[in-house]
Amino acid sequence: MERAKFIFALVMAGVLVASCGGGGGDAEPAADEAPAPAADAKPAPDLSQAGSVAGKVSFGGTTPKNARIRMDADPVCVKEHSGIVRSQDVLIGDDGALINTFVWVKSGLEQYGFDTPAEPVTLDQKGCIYTPHVLGIQTRQKLQVLNSDGTTHNVHPLPRNNREWNQSQRAKGKPLVRSFPRAEIMIPVKCNVHPWMKAYIGVVPHPYYAVTGTDGAFSIENLPPGDYVIEAWHEKFGVQEQQVTVQASEAKEVSFEFSG
Amino acid sequence: MVQRLIALLRRPFSRRGSRKPFWERPVPEEDPIVNSSLAVPMAVSSLLLMVTLIWAFYDEGWGLRPWRAHQDEFVERYSTFLRGLKPRQASQEEEIKASEGYQHLLRQQQEAEADVTPRLAEITAEEGAVDARLGAIEKTFATARSEIQATIYLIETTSGSARKGYEEDREELEQRRYEIVLPGEDAPQELSYVELEDMFNSLKEQQGKVRARKAAVLQRPSRVRREMQTYVANRMEGLTAGQVQGLINSLDDFEYGIHQIHNGDMGLVDRCETCHLGVTAPVTIRAADMGGMELFASHPRKELLDVHDTEVYGCSPCHNGNGIGTVSTDTGHGRYKHWLWPLYPPENMEAGCLRCHGDAARLDLAPVLSAGREQFRWRGCWGCHPRQGFDQERLALLVNQKDVATLEGEKEAVRLLIERTVARADEAETNEEANRLYAEADSLTLRVADLDTRAERERQRGRQLLEEVKTPGPNLKEVRVKLRRDWLPGWIENPHTFRPTTKMPRFRLEEDQAQAISAFIWQSGVNGDLEEQAQGDPEQGKVLFETRGCMSCHAIGEGDEAVGGTFAANLSRVGDKVNYDYLVRWINNPRKRTLPYCPTLKRDITPEDYAAAGKPFVFDLQNNECPICGGTLQVQNPTVMPNLRLSMEESRDIATYLKSRAPGAEYAAAAWLEDSELAPKGRAMVRHFGCAGCHEIATLEEEGKIGTDLTEEGSKPLERLDFALLTQTAKREGWYNHKGFFERKLENPAVYDEGKIKEPLERLRMPDFGLDTEEITQLTTYLLGSVTPEDRVPERYHYRPRDQRSHIQEGWDIILKYNCMGCHQVAPGQQPLVKSLPLYQQEDWREQLPPPLVGEGARVDPNWLTRFLKNPALDEDRPHRNGVRPYLQIRMPTFTLSDGEVEKLVRFFGALAQQPLPYLPKKLEPLSQRELTMARQLFTHPAAPCLRCHATGDLQHDRNATAPSFELVSERLQPDWTRRWMVHPEIIQPGTSMPSGLFQREENRWIFALADLPIMKDYEKDHADLVLRYMFQFTRQEQRRLRGR
Repeated sequence: MERAKFIFALVMAGVLVASCGGGGGDAEPAADEAPAPAADAKPAPDLSQAGSVAGKVSFGGTTPKNARIRMDADPVCVKEHSGIVRSQDVLIGDDGALINTFVWVKSGLEQYGFDTPAEPVTLDQKGCIYTPHVLGIQTRQKLQVLNSDGTTHNVHPLPRNNREWNQSQRAKGKPLVRSFPRAEIMIPVKCNVHPWMKAYIGVVPHPYYAVTGTDGAFSIENLPPGDYVIEAWHEKFGVQEQQVTVQASEAKEVSFEFSG
Repeated sequence: MVQRLIALLRRPFSRRGSRKPFWERPVPEEDPIVNSSLAVPMAVSSLLLMVTLIWAFYDEGWGLRPWRAHQDEFVERYSTFLRGLKPRQASQEEEIKASEGYQHLLRQQQEAEADVTPRLAEITAEEGAVDARLGAIEKTFATARSEIQATIYLIETTSGSARKGYEEDREELEQRRYEIVLPGEDAPQELSYVELEDMFNSLKEQQGKVRARKAAVLQRPSRVRREMQTYVANRMEGLTAGQVQGLINSLDDFEYGIHQIHNGDMGLVDRCETCHLGVTAPVTIRAADMGGMELFASHPRKELLDVHDTEVYGCSPCHNGNGIGTVSTDTGHGRYKHWLWPLYPPENMEAGCLRCHGDAARLDLAPVLSAGREQFRWRGCWGCHPRQGFDQERLALLVNQKDVATLEGEKEAVRLLIERTVARADEAETNEEANRLYAEADSLTLRVADLDTRAERERQRGRQLLEEVKTPGPNLKEVRVKLRRDWLPGWIENPHTFRPTTKMPRFRLEEDQAQAISAFIWQSGVNGDLEEQAQGDPEQGKVLFETRGCMSCHAIGEGDEAVGGTFAANLSRVGDKVNYDYLVRWINNPRKRTLPYCPTLKRDITPEDYAAAGKPFVFDLQNNECPICGGTLQVQNPTVMPNLRLSMEESRDIATYLKSRAPGAEYAAAAWLEDSELAPKGRAMVRHFGCAGCHEIATLEEEGKIGTDLTEEGSKPLERLDFALLTQTAKREGWYNHKGFFERKLENPAVYDEGKIKEPLERLRMPDFGLDTEEITQLTTYLLGSVTPEDRVPERYHYRPRDQRSHIQEGWDIILKYNCMGCHQVAPGQQPLVKSLPLYQQEDWREQLPPPLVGEGARVDPNWLTRFLKNPALDEDRPHRNGVRPYLQIRMPTFTLSDGEVEKLVRFFGALAQQPLPYLPKKLEPLSQRELTMARQLFTHPAAPCLRCHATGDLQHDRNATAPSFELVSERLQPDWTRRWMVHPEIIQPGTSMPSGLFQREENRWIFALADLPIMKDYEKDHADLVLRYMFQFTRQEQRRLRGR
């Protein structure tokens, strides 16, 4: 409290000196400039004998039909598509491959510390659809949101453990760069202007995560030997987890099957 | 003999030297006790004792109690007065009782009583029987009940074998038989306790029922009796003979002694009523009634006592004096050296009001004090003297700037705190902790929003305050564009020569001082271009000047021939002073400045500044942003003169008329006014004499006040008032007191320099205002009352209303500031000046007077009033007219009130009429088709030619209209008021052009009184209500439709 008072006094003095001025900037939390994580000196893992976990996520039930999206509210969106547009809730590939499943190492890495990657993860808004629909990101890693559409969007993540924000972005505007400081599976993202738009971001404190592609396959590389819990998350079908032990330089096979 | 006495006293002491024990001493030859007589000393001392005793008795009975004689005298005179009064009151009462109204009630009462007599006898008999039966059993029952209850108590409070014993007792009691004899029965009955209880309860119930029946029967006679009493009480002036007799009787037990009021909470002990015995008497006693004894008269302003309970406030908090003193008039009145609060003299008595009503701009019951405060405000005394409650806008502006800075600083601090909280949340160990911190950051964010709201509100207030700041004197930056140069020196030297009634005072200037000041003022003026104006028509100008309302504030004509208001300058010679072109501009828009002033940069902003910022040189209330710093500019002349929304042509006519009125004086050329070497000295003189207290002067806009703070001047110790060489004279002549000091100072501000030799700059600076005796008394009263807040009365007793009454106090400030009362009646009893102008004495012009505003708050919708005050034309496209009463020649001007002032005025009128805020308009039932037809017929019926007087929007017609258009009704008026107005306009506004008697009361409704319309024959609802509903749905289309007929 005393410190707050002191800062307050300092700032007041500043304002008094600068008396004749217009309004200041608005109070926007500077999340993209969040302070660097405290170096609590957790060691990086020894990767000399690293193994991997790979496999496939498949779906065994009856394939539900995705709802149709009507974009009539915004003609710009309509123009971007020729046929019927459907939501991306459940996408099944060949051989029941379950696309857009987020697979990550849920536990077993607590003793390690990881650097934040410098390159950003990109989320694009194209044809009034978030692409990719499911994506992973490391804590504090930069998320770069693009707007490739000729219309205004607003990016509105709805986290439970991070701070909520909602920022509008002009048509083909400059990228929005933010980050999430806390791990969270998963953060839904919506757009209030185009209510059908949905994306899910998995925020993980380490780089061991993957999203299944059209073949339902995933691969988590460079994993140090150890006992892990691997979790698979799907937007409609929930989560599954498996215990695995990765030996030195072992390539472990793990498969998940969801049945709806 | 004296020598003997001395010897006698000396003797024992003279022996001290003796060394022998006393038994060896020789026996004195003359034993003083045996041989001398003590008769003389004894006689002397007993005489002294007697005298002292008599003195003590005298003091006890009379010397210290001079009031005893007053009380004797009062009792005698008062009882004589009351005995004389009684027959007068009795005959008055008899007269009232003989009146038809009373006799009617009397007959009613007799009838009612005759009606109920038989029934009443029956009920009374029944009641008697029940009572007798109850009486017969009551004692037995009560005893039995107490015994049982006592036993129950014992059972409940004991245990074991003792309890068992009590339970047996109880059984025995319940089985016991009680013997009773009911009235009218010979044989006694034997009843158990339970039976007895039942009988008692049923009798009680019967008794209740009988009594209720009796009350019901008696209801009508008692109601009529009460009506009779009210009838007499309402019509009696003063007390009834019976009440007077009561007073006479009470005098038999008159309590001789100290009569005192004690309010321990206030620390008040007032014994004034020990002598002033009639002050709170229930009858009005004039001095003449008491043989000319002022001492015994009633309080001369009973209305003051009605609102100040004497048992709470006593006397001395208002009147001063020493409430405890009873030994003489001077001690009681505190007129001696060591009492700080001597009784206020009669002419300054209202000074005492200020002790608790310090914030009030106007006190209805204190006209002298209110006038004194108004003198202080109007003359601009506060330009030099700080005084709480004055120059509030400028002070508030300073506070406001600080507040905005504080809020911005606070906001920044909270923003930093949010950042830190979020950072901590990002790093938190658990999600719970993180979410708690994020929530904390969110609530802090809301605080930022709140601070933003408050900062914005403060900024708005700041802009308003800049609009509200007005100076007592004109803006001197305009002198070069406004004045004839050579006129200036004479004015500075003595303004009273040119204009005897001006409020600009005369400074006692040396010639070189006057020259330097004139030169500085002239040179500090801004330069600007004035639009060149053609000459107007002076005849038309005279008509406009007399009819547009100029004269409500301004007078014209000199000396005794002056006609018009004194609020603003007398304009007889204004033509000799100002440039014609400037005068036209001023009349057209007095708020227009040559250059705007930036309070942040503290300088005037020139066309070059605008050009440098790439902005057009346009400044007004919509374009008031500083082109350099972005702050808010002062874009108006700080004058209270409003804009009369005159056309340029009208402005030229009036200016030409004013020019033509001036005698056409020539002034000696004063080329030295341009001498720049004089300016620095002039500036120093201007600062020395405090000119910037009343005028806006370049480079001196932020000057402080040069005079003494007068907020607590009345409490200042007398020694600190500098009577200078007149101290002894004052003491000798008896004016060595606050009143004496103030009066002489106001009469001649240089008086306390008398006899002194001083350098010019060391002399007293207060200028001479040329006040008359009455004004001096008013100002003295105001100064005497200006005391420290804790003086005598604790602050919790001060009048500081927090409800609607505070809106009334705030509103008066604005009413007085803009002289609303020059044109309008605002309070009952007050008459606007305009009404006294010669023009409006002619009967045809009476209807041309501005509307009275008493009850305005109940009349109009406050939201409409807000709009109207902002723009009295009510129409952006047609400014040159009155919005409500286009037919009036006199014009409601645009005062360019700030939003804050409008708000205060609207709340003021609302509070005067006890209107709740916010205003929720009453919903009126829409008219059915049939009702609409009826209303139209009624409205246009030859017997009710509403549209003949009410404006219709037709120019030809409206020239002779005397009332506003119905098109305004729905947005402007309140339905309840409108209804009362239609049926009884003369109650709301005596002497109005709106005729009364349009409707008459029949049963429980109003019906149209002036004709029988066939269509209304079967209509059973209220006719006034029908017209009201019609008026509230009246539109322009409807107006056209009616006119088309």
